[in-house]
Amino acid sequence: MERINILLTGVGGQGIITMGKMIGNAAVNAGVKVLVAETHGLSQRGGSVQVHIRIGDVIAPLIEKGRADFIVGLEASEVLRNLSYANKSTVFILNRQTIKPVVPSVNAPDIDAVVEKLQAFSYYIVDGEEMAKDAGNPKGSNAVIIGFMLGMGFFGKIPREAFEKAMITDLNRKCLNAGYSQALTAKNNGGSRPAITR
Amino acid sequence: MMPKAKFMIGNEAIAAAAIHAGVSVAAGYPGTPSTEIIENIKRLGQDVYVEWSINEKIAFETAYGAAISGGSGLVAVKHVGLNVASDPLFSSSYTGINGSLVIVSADDSSMWSSQNEQDNRFYGLHALIPVLEPYDVQSAYDLTMKAFEISRRFHHPVIVRTTTRIGHVRSRVVYSDDHEPQRGRVVKDPSTYVLAPENARNDRKKQLERWHSISDYLASLCSYDPGEGDAIIITGGISYSYVRETLDETGIHANVLRLDATVPVPEKTILKYVNGMKRVLVVEENDPVIEMQVADILLKNGIMVEFHGKDLIPMEGEMTFEKLKGGLYTFYGMKYEGSILQDEPLTPRPPALCPGCPHRSSFYDIKKGLSRVSMQNSFFSGDIGCYTLGALPPFREQDAATNMGSSLGISNGVFRSTDAVPVAVIGDSTFFHSGMEGVANAVYNRTAELIVVLDNRSTAMTGQQPSPSTAIDIGNVCRAMGVEYVETFDPFDAESGEKSIQNAAEYVKNTGKPAVVIAKRACALEVLDKIDSETPKAYVDQDKCTGCTICYNFFTCPSILPLSNKKATIDDSCIGCGACVEVCPFNAISVKGEKPVGWDEAWNA
Ligand code: SF4
Ligand code: SF4
Repeated sequence: MERINILLTGVGGQGIITMGKMIGNAAVNAGVKVLVAETHGLSQRGGSVQVHIRIGDVIAPLIEKGRADFIVGLEASEVLRNLSYANKSTVFILNRQTIKPVVPSVNAPDIDAVVEKLQAFSYYIVDGEEMAKDAGNPKGSNAVIIGFMLGMGFFGKIPREAFEKAMITDLNRKCLNAGYSQALTAKNNGGSRPAITR
Repeated sequence: MMPKAKFMIGNEAIAAAAIHAGVSVAAGYPGTPSTEIIENIKRLGQDVYVEWSINEKIAFETAYGAAISGGSGLVAVKHVGLNVASDPLFSSSYTGINGSLVIVSADDSSMWSSQNEQDNRFYGLHALIPVLEPYDVQSAYDLTMKAFEISRRFHHPVIVRTTTRIGHVRSRVVYSDDHEPQRGRVVKDPSTYVLAPENARNDRKKQLERWHSISDYLASLCSYDPGEGDAIIITGGISYSYVRETLDETGIHANVLRLDATVPVPEKTILKYVNGMKRVLVVEENDPVIEMQVADILLKNGIMVEFHGKDLIPMEGEMTFEKLKGGLYTFYGMKYEGSILQDEPLTPRPPALCPGCPHRSSFYDIKKGLSRVSMQNSFFSGDIGCYTLGALPPFREQDAATNMGSSLGISNGVFRSTDAVPVAVIGDSTFFHSGMEGVANAVYNRTAELIVVLDNRSTAMTGQQPSPSTAIDIGNVCRAMGVEYVETFDPFDAESGEKSIQNAAEYVKNTGKPAVVIAKRACALEVLDKIDSETPKAYVDQDKCTGCTICYNFFTCPSILPLSNKKATIDDSCIGCGACVEVCPFNAISVKGEKPVGWDEAWNA
């Protein structure tokens, strides 16, 4: 199978390790090889966190710089901290959320400023927070985004059932499905660079 | 054997292998990236005695004690933790053991959560203990099993060395859960285990004999992927995975020798595979441990080849494709074009103390208390834990933090050379790990210093493992050691906290003796773990808020955010701890909502 390199970025405490686990479990459910490299320890305390997911015919755990197929920002601005992993065909998936760094006199980055820097790339913005809340699970934006990526066909041949099985709770499954239908709507609306809003 | 498969991290694979191999006593001290090994043995190993010891030395001695009794012992620590256990480590190699002793050293290449990236394979060379190095998650399972087998067979300790991308990578692992814990029985053999000079000299001879037979045995612990041409790549550990994938992808048909035992590198193996080759590239993460041994073997045997290692593969940081390809391509006369894009972060984002963390309140109280006696610019001798984050703005209350327990020794030296009263800041778990000795020294040698113990009832940074402070009262320990001034305060009670700090600082200045102040309140995450129902929430009264910025710029709870008019607001991440209420000089913050059942008890555990 072809290799898929997915870099998850975000802020410690956002559920990024869980997100990596969910995608990993789905791949395992589908009998596809997967490696998930996590960051534990100090950086989990509200700092920048990355999780590397490599799917397919892979042996080493970390993605090579310039070789990420997808970069996900569970906190939108964190993708820019990891831009060196991108190449010109990398697709960015941004959660519509930015978080103020815990540094005096530094404000939360503006999502428009993030988008401005991504003009040369394909990117999608997903209302993860809101959709998760609507689905009854305020912490479920990670599952929403997985659903969205699934709907866009970003996980190759790993089927939807494998993801449904990988969701531990029904609420997460609801989030997954919400993201999935959002992707279908986005696809139907077409456009080379659709920014999804509701 | 009933093989099963599960998606797990390397540390769980090591735990599963230890149980499968019959470990009966496992001990460790929490430290990233090793923590989940002991946690998982605790969770999965029903008949295994598992403990969080007070420090790595005790953990080591515990596993060793089991092993000299014929049992199967395991000790799992992070790389720097093995420094703390290095004394018994060397001795264990002299005496050998009756059962099996496996030492897992989890090294943190790239320093994701550590003060250095020391390469603990050197301990193997130094103490004459073989080092097995997994190259992926499955091999972490397989080689841990192998380590127990070698240890029992040769009556010698064995080190399993992982790095972050083994222990914290998740992958499908085939494993077995059959096991029979191998327990010991009392063995009395003082001529081996009492390392008095005469015995030690005898042991030394036997140690070297064991070392040589182990070296021979390890010759089989490698794998050779034949390629084409007269160049060979010698590698081991996680680097192998990068080498293999790169060669497969680029179609370079190199000969590859993977060593699963990287200490000692078996001479036979090297001679066998390097024979006939003209060029050698050693690829390894961190230090040139394989490289030095291979170079030595080639030199001794008069073999002349073009030889590369750390001249092409960087020593700094963990192995990546970029590092490998940079070196490998040069070795093959090609050029590696790396990523053209640069990271472009919009803001810095260092880690921060959690919402409701009592350390934040302590740092706030300490600073205000000290400024009452003009000591706010004291030297803050820090230590290792979540509270090391107190080094960052706005607090800047850690001027040095180098190793577990460092706060007390360093503050003593600072005081001796400057006569300025320092402030030592240490956590409760670190206090029991290696801080108590420093307190004893301060009493014995009369160090004029203010010692602040941040007692949050847990070993928080590694995931809230229980701390000895829940069983032993730190104040009583200090009093028993002769500290005359001991006081405890609640960091959420800002006024009394400031007062406690002020009084203690005055006492130190007046008497020239050490004083201990204990800030006692549970780790916020530990509290949240105990509470099932919804927590209260804090609100800012927009009429009362003046936009003074104190709560978000000087107290900096992550839940408190500035609005565009500089007034404060509080978001959903607030846990309702109430610590910010007193911080606001205009009484604009209040907490609303019912206290959940067990709330006060959890905070005051
Ligand atoms: S884990 Fe506990 S001690 Fe560490 S920052 Fe969070 S609340 Fe504070
Ligand atoms: S009550 Fe105040 S200090 Fe506590 S978490 Fe909420 S905002 Fe932060």
